[in-house]
Amino acid sequence: SVHLMELGAEAAHAGLQVRDELSEKCQKLFLEFLEEFQDKTGDALYLSDAQELIRPERNTLTVSFSNIEHYNQQLATTIQEEYYRVYPCLCRAVRHFARDHGNIPPSKEFYVAFSDFPSRQKIRELSAARIGTLLRISGQVVRTHPVHPELVSGTFLCLDCQSVIKDVEQQFKYTQPTICKNPVCANRRRFMLDTNKSRFVDFQKVRIQETQAELPRGCIPRSMEVILRAEAVETAQAGDRCDFTGTLIVVPDVSAMAFAGTEAICRCETSSRGLKALGVRELSYRLAFLANHVGPTNPRFGGKELRQEDQTAESVKNQMTVQEWEKVFEMSQDKNLYHNLCTSLFPTIHGNDEIKRGILLMLFGGVAKTTMEGTSLRGDINVCIVGDPSTSKSQFLKHVEDFAPRAVYTSGKASSAAGLTAAVVKDEESHEFVIEAGALMLADNGVCCIDEFDKMDLKDQVAIHEAMEQQTISITKAGVKATLNARTSILAAANPIDGRYNRAKSLKQNVNMSAPIMSRFDLFFILVDECNEVTDYAIARRIVDLHARNIESVERVYSTEEIQRYILFARQFQPKITSEAQEFVVDQYKRLRQRDGGGTTKSAWRITVRQLESMLRLSEAMARLYCSDEVHPKHVKEAFRLLNKSIIRVDSPDINFDQEQDDNSGNETEGQNGAEVNGHPVEAMDTDEVEKQEKPAAAKPALRMSFAEYKKISNLLVLHMQKMEQLDEESSLKKSELINWYLKEMESEIDSEAELVAKKNLIEKVLYRLIHYDHIIIELTKTGLKKISEDGDEPVMEEDPFLVVNPNYILED
Amino acid sequence: MLCVPAAQSNTCPDWEKKVVEYFKEKLKPNDAHTWVPSLNDVPLHYLKPNSLVKFRCMVQDMFDPEFFMGVYETNDPTLDSKVKCGKYKDITEGGQVDFNSRNTVTSERQTFYCVPIPGESQWNSYAGTSQARVVPSTSYVPNRHKRSYEEDDEMDTQPQQMKGSSAESHGNIEPKRQETEAPSHDSSPSHCTSSLDLNFPLPGEKGPACLVKVYEDWDGFKLNDMLEVFGILSVDPALSVIADEREASSLLHPTEGMETVEEQRVHSPPASLVPRLHMLYAQPLVHNNPLLPSSVLENNGDYLSSVLGELASIRAELLTYLTHVLLGDSLAAEYLILHLISNVYSRRDVLPLGKFTLNLSGCPHSSPYTEHLYKVIQQLVPSSYRLCMSLHNMNNQRMVPRKDYTANRLVSGTLQLANNTSLFLDETQLEQGQLDATGVRNITALGNLITWQKVDYDFNYHQMEFSCNINVLITSEGRSLLPSDCQVHLRPTLNPPNLEEYLSAVQVAQVPSQLNKYRIYLSVARALNYTISDEITKAVEEDFVEMRKDDPQSMSAEDLHRLLVVARLLSLSNGQNTLSRDGWMKAKQLEALRMSRTQQQKCVNGNEP
Repeated sequence: SVHLMELGAEAAHAGLQVRDELSEKCQKLFLEFLEEFQDKTGDALYLSDAQELIRPERNTLTVSFSNIEHYNQQLATTIQEEYYRVYPCLCRAVRHFARDHGNIPPSKEFYVAFSDFPSRQKIRELSAARIGTLLRISGQVVRTHPVHPELVSGTFLCLDCQSVIKDVEQQFKYTQPTICKNPVCANRRRFMLDTNKSRFVDFQKVRIQETQAELPRGCIPRSMEVILRAEAVETAQAGDRCDFTGTLIVVPDVSAMAFAGTEAICRCETSSRGLKALGVRELSYRLAFLANHVGPTNPRFGGKELRQEDQTAESVKNQMTVQEWEKVFEMSQDKNLYHNLCTSLFPTIHGNDEIKRGILLMLFGGVAKTTMEGTSLRGDINVCIVGDPSTSKSQFLKHVEDFAPRAVYTSGKASSAAGLTAAVVKDEESHEFVIEAGALMLADNGVCCIDEFDKMDLKDQVAIHEAMEQQTISITKAGVKATLNARTSILAAANPIDGRYNRAKSLKQNVNMSAPIMSRFDLFFILVDECNEVTDYAIARRIVDLHARNIESVERVYSTEEIQRYILFARQFQPKITSEAQEFVVDQYKRLRQRDGGGTTKSAWRITVRQLESMLRLSEAMARLYCSDEVHPKHVKEAFRLLNKSIIRVDSPDINFDQEQDDNSGNETEGQNGAEVNGHPVEAMDTDEVEKQEKPAAAKPALRMSFAEYKKISNLLVLHMQKMEQLDEESSLKKSELINWYLKEMESEIDSEAELVAKKNLIEKVLYRLIHYDHIIIELTKTGLKKISEDGDEPVMEEDPFLVVNPNYILED
Repeated sequence: MLCVPAAQSNTCPDWEKKVVEYFKEKLKPNDAHTWVPSLNDVPLHYLKPNSLVKFRCMVQDMFDPEFFMGVYETNDPTLDSKVKCGKYKDITEGGQVDFNSRNTVTSERQTFYCVPIPGESQWNSYAGTSQARVVPSTSYVPNRHKRSYEEDDEMDTQPQQMKGSSAESHGNIEPKRQETEAPSHDSSPSHCTSSLDLNFPLPGEKGPACLVKVYEDWDGFKLNDMLEVFGILSVDPALSVIADEREASSLLHPTEGMETVEEQRVHSPPASLVPRLHMLYAQPLVHNNPLLPSSVLENNGDYLSSVLGELASIRAELLTYLTHVLLGDSLAAEYLILHLISNVYSRRDVLPLGKFTLNLSGCPHSSPYTEHLYKVIQQLVPSSYRLCMSLHNMNNQRMVPRKDYTANRLVSGTLQLANNTSLFLDETQLEQGQLDATGVRNITALGNLITWQKVDYDFNYHQMEFSCNINVLITSEGRSLLPSDCQVHLRPTLNPPNLEEYLSAVQVAQVPSQLNKYRIYLSVARALNYTISDEITKAVEEDFVEMRKDDPQSMSAEDLHRLLVVARLLSLSNGQNTLSRDGWMKAKQLEALRMSRTQQQKCVNGNEP
């Protein structure tokens, strides 16, 4: 049996028979509360609920604890502090209340359950001192037992004189009458329970386990047995995360320690054999939790849940402590929030700012929408990082997995959505073992980090495709095919086909991924092991630093918990696009498409509706980042920049100068083709078409250079120009001056006149591209800007214009 | 022999503290193991109940907290003072407990399930350091007789596991653990009937498991911690009887006992099999090498300098020895030394620093070469385990610990290992075939262990990460399918006609005192501090930029990362605790040599990082 151990001296000595004044007073006050407490419209709030209790399957009245606090703080305090002691009388009050308002069988038992109990205790903090008081704990249900009927009030038949003894109260334990009520019968032992006339209540044991958020690192989660009764049974399923309101009790039976009077009754049927009879007993016992109310757990701040449905910004705010809310507010006001979040999220990864931004926006997510036709559009943002081996791809993934534990980290090499097995194959030549396919679990409502995405079997990529677009996944497990929800963002990392990213080839040629899958990624980033003194120094510094210092400190503006809290809060916003921003989106989209038509690309990337959708998602994520209800042009601007960046990075194959100047034709038709896509599986990337077009161009003697080379020249020129501009702000370089300067710089590499001509030719092409395609250098004609703007497409070529660096251009390292 | 002082009559409020202080003082680690008998070495039935013993162990599981009567009163009329102390005990004594007493005090304690450190090498039995174990005190002989009868009784009821756990010889016998435990999740019915499983992480392990009761500061202990626990041994047979009674009564009243039968088996096993140890004091172990003082670094300057003096010569000898073992390949021997002293010394965010997983490829797979190689390593390190990566093992072995919610315990797996255990993965045992779900999970777990030094324990509803610090050595024919920090392709210069004979001869040539030197050397080198000066930092940075200027492909960020680890380990292996220019150059040379060798081996097969 289970009992309250320390009820205080008063109750302990009174025993059960003696009237408890406190309880009686409580009962009276609670009944008054039930009768009198009104909702906003002035109706008695609990009346209709009480009338519902007429139904035979109902027996529990759920009362909001905050209502009691409003009504009578003292009553609330007494219930909280003396919960176990006054609980029976609270139930009696419910019975009276229900009886007063409905026709209810007199023998029916009633129970009260408390919702909205304000404070919450950690399982680890529960100690014997809290026994008997009203508490709320949360935990993950790990085990449920079947529901049993529990005897609450017994009717017994005396086997000696056949008299019937009614209403023998049971406290968790089978309890016979002490003595037959018939004065002439002295029977104390021979009774029979009449189950038909006795009253039972549903009873269920479940076990809960400490949630991960509460668990100190390196420890095994603690567990706690929870006893559920009446309507609370079967409300919690294994795997659920629930809040339980109730009290701590002690097991096994130590009631005897508190209630000496009942000792004899309880013990009489214990077997007299064994050591117990000799007084030897174990010194230990455990605590259990007797719950009256079960509710789903609200997100715990500091917990790592990033997604919660049925939440609003307001409800999320309400669950924060004052300090937590202040921090969130402070963050929302941070002018450098975007940057600070990025650096705090990946403190040990150097550079790669665009990837950090992309992943950050992925965590905020866009708004899921349903179109007028009823098709749902995902809000999740998918990101793919393609990169040379030994760049920090995996680290990005691992960070995200660490940050958001609903996240799953898996390797494409050992993963397969379709099957749960893999084959080990030996390469006969190298004697190396290779693994093919395996199991993949997709987290619903999380982030799925797939490393080595390219190693994944193509048919499994199809399953991922399904997850990315329909947000479900079909899995065949043990012969049963199941479709599971997989509302997940995908963060994938892939290796280039040849081991290293080949800039001479397009993205599609560089990765082993099907076109449909590729098109489902909102952002593609390419991590190339670039050789550049500035970055090399920075990388070296970071790595040496890592090894040279033993301190484990990682510099962050915001802690992980703060960011988690912030993201959870910000995700509650469903930003709507303003008309202004809408126009801007259209503008930018046009620009993207124009650039696309510009022909610099032989890349596989065509700008289609998908990119438009991506742009919207990213804009929404950007608006969320600033806790904005509206998407403003500035949000679109960043989304566009990022998308552009992602695409530019994709589009960095060799630069073919011959092609670009006469490849202005034949794009309109394609453009329309793209616009017609409308979300149909018309492939966004029609590489073949592009390649076909290139053929005639390739017939000419190709004047091309690698992107790195192009970038190098570009940096050289910009650096020089900036230096000159600094020396004298007024003067500008003429184009010819710049070209001559460059050729002078290159002197050592030029041996013949032919080479000089070739170099000059090349630098002119580079300049042309820098001016007209990358807009890094601006041409100042003698007539000023006017002439350019009038003419639109083709700026008139001045003989020798002045050149300046675009003031918005920032030299990259 | 020391018994618990009769403290109950003492009214001084902080007597408890004083008692613990007294013991801590008496148990100054360095001389304590000479007179306190150890559960690791002395059979349980030779130890006196309620006496002070020690136990060198690893925390395998943590149970829920337990409440007990810290102070209680009995009704015994014959005694003057009836107030008794419930601390460091499992059961009451002295007549009926007076539950009415105002003197009753409820206290809390924590129970850890502890097992001997998994994979401790045979040389590592603290031999010679414990005198107490040899001479059983005569005072408890009669007591012992009486107790042994009870034990015999229990043995009749549970014959299987008694023999299984204590009589099994060391070696490659088919692991017992797998026989008693069905791999399936919901095999609870069979669980009830099967014999008790002591839950050792590694198959074939023996030695006592212990329920350690902790009375203070239990939050300071973490799972898989290595501890030397000093405490009061409690083996009262009454404990088991009470458990039996409770089991019986809980069947009558399912609502009464909160624990199921399965749980009781785990949480209250027979004391003769799983003794209780009430902790007075626990010394966290930084290492488990008995040849070294338990705290190598702190307050041991003298010791350290004496070892450092000899370091260079021992290193040379060890290198020669390992070169012989590696069939004349001195480069592989160099790398093996670096691997053996590697250690995760810090974590930055998700990155473990200092790990050095070595893939020794080019191992002949048709001979018992790897088996011999493992024996050599086993001889050198305090704890180790050889995992044969046969398909059968991959598909059947439980590597990742899993929470069993029926019995409410953490079912151990082969990857639940204490810090600095050497895990020898033998890929030469792999063959072509099908990996099932378990196999895939196991491969994934091994990969994660190597890359992140973490094991994701399976809590059914979610996984939970536990950091670890395990030295992984992979032997394979070609490049391993598992990731590694460094691959060395074995290039034998010797071709002995009889490999086995040759290897035995090499091993026999090492006298025990020589082996002990190596053992001390490896443990000391691993524990040394290490710094890089600002000057060297700068030089390294410049060097990196310079190397990339020449050939960016030759030196990636990851190469620099590895080079710094190699430089660190190389310096430490020479007893230098700071990086010198010379050390940096040597590390570069070593890496260049290794790379030139693997370049020839290089082949894109999808196992690249």
